[in-house]
Amino acid sequence: MSWSDFFLMQQELALILLALVLLVVEISLDTENKHKIIPVANFLFIPILVIGFLNTSTGSLFGDMYITDPTRILMKNILNVGVFLVFLQVSNWLKTQANNRNRISEFYLLIISSLIGVNYLISAGNFLMFYLSLELTSIPIAALAAYEQYKHKSAEAGIKMILSSAFSSGILLFGLSLLYAGTGTLNYGAMAIASVDLIQSMGFIFFFSGLAFKISIVPFHLWTADVYEGAPVAVTSYLSVISKGVAVFVLAIVLITLFGEIQGLWQEVIYVTAILTMTIGNLFAIRQKNIKRFLAFSSIAQAGFILLGLVGGSNFGTTAVLYFVLIYIFSNLAAFGVVSVIQNASDKENIYDYNGLYKTNPRLSLVMMLALFSLAGIPPVAGFFGKFFLFAAAAEAGMYVLLLIAVLNAIISLYYYLLVVKAMFINSNDQPVPKIESDFFARAGLILCTAGIIITGFISWIYEYMLNNSFGI
Amino acid sequence: MSTEGLILFFIAGVLMVGGGIIVSNLVAPRSTNAQKLDPYECGIPTIGPSWMQFRVGYYLFAIMFLIFDVETVFIFPWAVVMKQVGMTAFIEILIFFVILGLGLLYAWKKKALRWE
Amino acid sequence: METYIFYILAGAILIFALLSVTTRRVLRAAVYLLFALGSTAGIYFMVEFLFLAAVQLLVYVGGVVVLIIFSILLTSQINDRLEQPEWLKVMATMLLVVVGAGLSLFVIREYDFNISETAMTAPTVSDIGLKLLSYGPGGYVLPFEVISILLLAAMIGAIVIAKRMKEND
Repeated sequence: MSWSDFFLMQQELALILLALVLLVVEISLDTENKHKIIPVANFLFIPILVIGFLNTSTGSLFGDMYITDPTRILMKNILNVGVFLVFLQVSNWLKTQANNRNRISEFYLLIISSLIGVNYLISAGNFLMFYLSLELTSIPIAALAAYEQYKHKSAEAGIKMILSSAFSSGILLFGLSLLYAGTGTLNYGAMAIASVDLIQSMGFIFFFSGLAFKISIVPFHLWTADVYEGAPVAVTSYLSVISKGVAVFVLAIVLITLFGEIQGLWQEVIYVTAILTMTIGNLFAIRQKNIKRFLAFSSIAQAGFILLGLVGGSNFGTTAVLYFVLIYIFSNLAAFGVVSVIQNASDKENIYDYNGLYKTNPRLSLVMMLALFSLAGIPPVAGFFGKFFLFAAAAEAGMYVLLLIAVLNAIISLYYYLLVVKAMFINSNDQPVPKIESDFFARAGLILCTAGIIITGFISWIYEYMLNNSFGI
Repeated sequence: MSTEGLILFFIAGVLMVGGGIIVSNLVAPRSTNAQKLDPYECGIPTIGPSWMQFRVGYYLFAIMFLIFDVETVFIFPWAVVMKQVGMTAFIEILIFFVILGLGLLYAWKKKALRWE
Repeated sequence: METYIFYILAGAILIFALLSVTTRRVLRAAVYLLFALGSTAGIYFMVEFLFLAAVQLLVYVGGVVVLIIFSILLTSQINDRLEQPEWLKVMATMLLVVVGAGLSLFVIREYDFNISETAMTAPTVSDIGLKLLSYGPGGYVLPFEVISILLLAAMIGAIVIAKRMKEND
């Protein structure tokens, strides 16, 4: 192993370096100057995005403990972009809330350590590494969910998050130990499960359930709404796109590389959970009054749609999933960005507070509208193309009943997304949210998200780039 | 130690402790009255429950202790083979230490190690 | 002989685990958990995984349980007894536990394990150290370094949650 091999770990090493630099900056800053870390973190994050595109070679390190290839690097790039957008959105909230003043850097440090976990999770080549990175992704976020610990709801979100993630890790570990019992190894390469043994099927079911918690697939979604509602908006947006995205990616990797031979088993599991997740997520989303809970259930429904891409287990499906997650990141972060701006300025988070938003904040309403259209999958915006490829993947696998249910669900989801749009544009309100001037970073974040929503659908080379890079996980 | 010896040891242990308690219970004289139940030389009788709510500082110290406790677990096997592995081991532990050392420095700066 | 010790320890784990979830005083639950974890260390000692046993004692018995007890003492309801759970819930939970345990036992018993020919030898501390520091196949140096980041994140997270940020006001 030579020194140049370390360049395979470019993104992780850069992130670790960034975390250490920020830690040193935090230690050396005075109490009054803590907010100066915001631009430092935001600008130092740009090189990390660039680094991801420099080297897309295939290789493995530390005796297959770490695996990298173009697909994995692409997955990391998608999620890193998402985190950058979260960083842009969060700056205003961090700066203006007096209670945050002394722990701004902690927010960045915890998100970055979680992101290091995300990157290692995607590149894990061994279930030990897998489990360790999974914990690294969720533990810092549990601490962040309780970031506003003076608020009752935030503390509650923190404890709910840590308990549910501990519980899901327990289930996942039990599944892993059964898989280990069946194969005698933790290494992905040596493990590849060939036969449908009882013990391995059961191991897989437990393993899947553990991951299903992180994606909030339906029987395991109960923590989602409470945590999303209680946690600060920035943490919620991280949870809903990055934590969910990485769990989906890892599920795709593991299903294809490890459980490829027992596709018959997991296809049924995913088939059933996809239907449940879409339907229940949608039905509950209609009933929500709080915008964060609303987006929580909408994100559960979206997870159901994502499963459509996995059910066939084809490369085309994987591309559809990658593409959809990228668009989902833009759309959901745009929606959460608007929610964050409004909550920061007026502390309002109910859907009826958005009545008449268009009159006072036309630009914010337009961004929100585009985001919701994209989440619903209305043609001109990117969300349509994302959903289209997912449906196409299900059709390719020949699952027409599933496809029909998915289309019905997409129509239901249209209804409740349009309810919010109607509230903003048509409903009248005596006390609408006052006009808001957002700061540079928040504005940049929303502009990038909007651009992403519009451009990703139209520029075909983005999809082609993904198609070319998502073969051979 | 042989198996029989181990069993014998267990039985002897149980007998010695249990026997002592039983014998003293049988032989000792008894006298009971209300004053015997009073706390003796322990300050004034408590008002309300004696369990009190701890300060959050204890928790912080406990978790710091736990973190460095886990660190020890990893340093111990390193120390055993340090000589055998040589330079690589030194670099590896150096990275480990730098990361955790920065953490310690941070905790120090945050006054998390100071009792208020 | 080993079998007897195993059954004694396993019985102790089971009993203390049961007591820990059925007791209605939360501090007692923590102490029963302590005994259950201690008995687990006993099983590790029995199969001569000395390092693992030491870690179990050092981290779980000495650290985690202390932390749990401190967290319990942080709450104001130390004296309160938990409510008696509803009969129906107890039965439903029992049923679930019995079915789950039965299923796992069935699956594990049915499986045809490959029995290795060579006798198993417990790893020594230096075996563990060599594996931990090795960067070749079968080495664990990457998890070892990632753990330091996990510990760092845990430390920062703990400070964010538990430290009062009053000094600046």
